[in-house]
Amino acid sequence: MDSPVFAAETLGLTKRYPLAWKRRVVVALNKLDLQVRPGEVFGLLGPNGSGKSTTIKLLLGLIRPNEGEARIFGLGPDDLEARRRIGFLPENPYFYGFLTGDETLQFFGKLCGLRGAKLTARINELIDLVSLQNGRERPLRSYSKGMLQRIGLAQAMIHDPDLLFLDEPTAGVDPQGSAQIRDLILRLKKMGKTVIFSSHLLEQVQEVADRVAIFSLGRKVLEGSLDDLLTEKEATLVSVPGELTDARRDELERLLAQSGFTGANVQFSRPRLSLEQLYLRTVEAERQP
Amino acid sequence: MIGRILVIARNTLLEAVRQKVLNVLLLFGLVMIAASSYFSQVAIDQQIKFVKDFGCGAIGLIGVCIAILSVAQLLPQELHNRTIYTILAKPVRRSEFLLGKFVGVVLLLTLSVALMSIAFAAVLWWQETQGLAAVQADYVHTPGWGKSPELTNMYQHDVAQIVNQVRDPQMVEAILLIFAKLVMAAAMAMLVSTFSTSFIFTVITTCGIYLIGHMESAARDVWLSHGAQATFGQGLFLEMLSLLVPDMNSFTIVDEILDGNVVPWWHTWNLLGYSAVYTGVLLALSELIFEFREI
Repeated sequence: MDSPVFAAETLGLTKRYPLAWKRRVVVALNKLDLQVRPGEVFGLLGPNGSGKSTTIKLLLGLIRPNEGEARIFGLGPDDLEARRRIGFLPENPYFYGFLTGDETLQFFGKLCGLRGAKLTARINELIDLVSLQNGRERPLRSYSKGMLQRIGLAQAMIHDPDLLFLDEPTAGVDPQGSAQIRDLILRLKKMGKTVIFSSHLLEQVQEVADRVAIFSLGRKVLEGSLDDLLTEKEATLVSVPGELTDARRDELERLLAQSGFTGANVQFSRPRLSLEQLYLRTVEAERQP
Repeated sequence: MIGRILVIARNTLLEAVRQKVLNVLLLFGLVMIAASSYFSQVAIDQQIKFVKDFGCGAIGLIGVCIAILSVAQLLPQELHNRTIYTILAKPVRRSEFLLGKFVGVVLLLTLSVALMSIAFAAVLWWQETQGLAAVQADYVHTPGWGKSPELTNMYQHDVAQIVNQVRDPQMVEAILLIFAKLVMAAAMAMLVSTFSTSFIFTVITTCGIYLIGHMESAARDVWLSHGAQATFGQGLFLEMLSLLVPDMNSFTIVDEILDGNVVPWWHTWNLLGYSAVYTGVLLALSELIFEFREI
């Protein structure tokens, strides 16, 4: 039986940087084995310097491993056929400041072999998708951080790739923009695209990722689906609408005790909104006409 | 492949054109050429010779500044701004990226040399007009003007001398040779920038190589003119140097053209071929180093 073709796969991938002047070697990534299936949204988590960006750069062929190999849809990262199927948004993206939004997308589109009416139609489509109508004729040097992130997403998608690498896509973006990027990732998932992204915003990762890998000091220390990793198998949470009066609470405690649940193991609490949910709800309510 | 190289080249040219520093350099060159005619000389032929020397010198000097400075900032800027990541994540080979950047600089040099040459031609045309007017004024006030065939012949000879000096077709050869030299300087800078980590290092090292290229033949003359006196070490060193560094002094043949001597086209073609081969070798080495560079 043929082995399945993963959207991205690494086998024992290792990257070391020698520090000649300190006579030591920094291991940026240590023997990473990772498989991302087509159509999955995969989150790379970890503190700064844990190996997330190194993993992405190795998968893109921007840097070369000391050991192991990386494969994109079964091909080496240097293979142009593999590159045709990937899109990349780097961390804190900088583009040519002298180009306008339209010129930037034309430049990247032409690099991917798009021309003429097809390219124009694709640019129009992406400008609508990332809501950047007001930036089409402006040079990128006048863009805000959020606008740069959005043009970055548009250029990553210009050739309609099957696999997207997003390195800290929400870094420095306001919660509104951050939520738009989250929605976009969900939309890409619905379209059957594979998305591999790194982020520090754990709540956002939780909202969009099917699976995550947690990195620390260049090593993958945990990997799995969010359902598996986050479900507390030792407890069950019951939610009821409205406020629980003392009388009702006593009644519930009695019922639970009859079933054998007593003492400190039984807890009552009120569900809380996340700060992001509160912010978005408030700002969006203000914007309603 | 060609399409991707041209897209990168066009973008490089656009970036350079929208950069004010290069525009200022180019403007400086144009002003230098235009100003050359104000340094008046006694005789008109000397004046024209001065304008030609000054014009070609300005094109060469400003051109080499544009070539080295524009190439030296290409890669450091791409790496610093991380724009290279987004490009190389697309279906673009590293060799295509580097070649596209180089072609962009060559296009910029073509544009700059063309603009400065047009200014140069305009100044020469103005010199011709002034010179012819001065000669005519001289002869008109000479007794016997219009009656003596001998005087008419002398007048026609002087006019032809000015016209021939200004409209010397060999000036095309001179400009082509200067351009070839600039392309080689750009290729040298490209090679240095593939292993350099800073703009300053690239500029200083390239200028160093460029100067060595100019002094190489002088050293050969001094050490090898009396074969017996040159040691084996000196000979080997010069051989190695001539292999690694192009002989830029060969291009001083431009001075012969400016002095009014005839330089046959085959000699110019030889030099253009030499520069094309060296540029090719320098680019191939650049590609090789850049292919393995960590970015």
